[in-house]
Amino acid sequence: MTVAFVFLTAMTLISALGVVLSRNVVHSALLMSASFLGVAGFFVMLNAPALAAFQVLIYVGAVTVVILFGIMFTQRPQVRRFRTIIQKQHWPGLFSAIGVGTFLAYILIIQDWGYTKPGNGLQEPGSLGEILLGVNGAPPIFGLLFEVISVLLLVAVIAAIVVSRRKTGEGVDRQEVDG
Amino acid sequence: MLQQFLDTLNATIPLEGYLVVGAIMFAIGAWGALIRRNAVVVFMCIELMLNAVNLSLVAFADYLPNAGGAGAGYAVLVIAVAAAEIAVGLAVVLAVYRTRKTVNVDDINLMKG
Repeated sequence: MTVAFVFLTAMTLISALGVVLSRNVVHSALLMSASFLGVAGFFVMLNAPALAAFQVLIYVGAVTVVILFGIMFTQRPQVRRFRTIIQKQHWPGLFSAIGVGTFLAYILIIQDWGYTKPGNGLQEPGSLGEILLGVNGAPPIFGLLFEVISVLLLVAVIAAIVVSRRKTGEGVDRQEVDG
Repeated sequence: MLQQFLDTLNATIPLEGYLVVGAIMFAIGAWGALIRRNAVVVFMCIELMLNAVNLSLVAFADYLPNAGGAGAGYAVLVIAVAAAEIAVGLAVVLAVYRTRKTVNVDDINLMKG
């Protein structure tokens, strides 16, 4: 357990640092998927294999591909100096991030969580479905949340189409830029 | 000596271990969202923060005896919200890029008075 924990921690945190500090945007996206894979490994350690599968499918698969498409559409050759990728307020950003991290870690460590023992999680995917639908003793609020999330996803898909749709005569075509 | 080392290797990780990893990951994501100029990288850092929260939720679901695994259900909801957010966010970035020819968040000052 310790070996797996240390390995996954190093993988997740080093990849996350790489996302922030990498000068190449594509490297940032690939390191982000490595970080998500580390979190999927944590989910397996925490007895949530169904969630780990969701994590690999949705984050490592879908979100990374969508972000790579976004990079492909929006990036142009750029200067690869370190000063050009970070804002002018990077010192306040660093200090507030360190402050948030230290505060959260301190609060989480001094908090008395009572009797904790691993192994209470959902072992089988079926019970995850029962929780999501709020049946069979699960909190009934999950049924409402499930419906709200469904509507939210539909709205998000329609909104993405509407926002990114190109109206005729708006913007510049690629051929006009090249020619 | 060897037995002690093996016991250390096989010891169960306390709950605080996962929570601190989640807190550090959240802080790294917040740092990147604050300092990076590229809007797409800012989205990646927001995804990192959401993943850190997911890690904490699943750790609670596994370690707290009375949670009943509800944290895993919340984690699924967070994943769905993150997917919706990345779809709409990248559409906004594409629309801004089409009109302004940049994704630098310092240059996008449409609402500056």
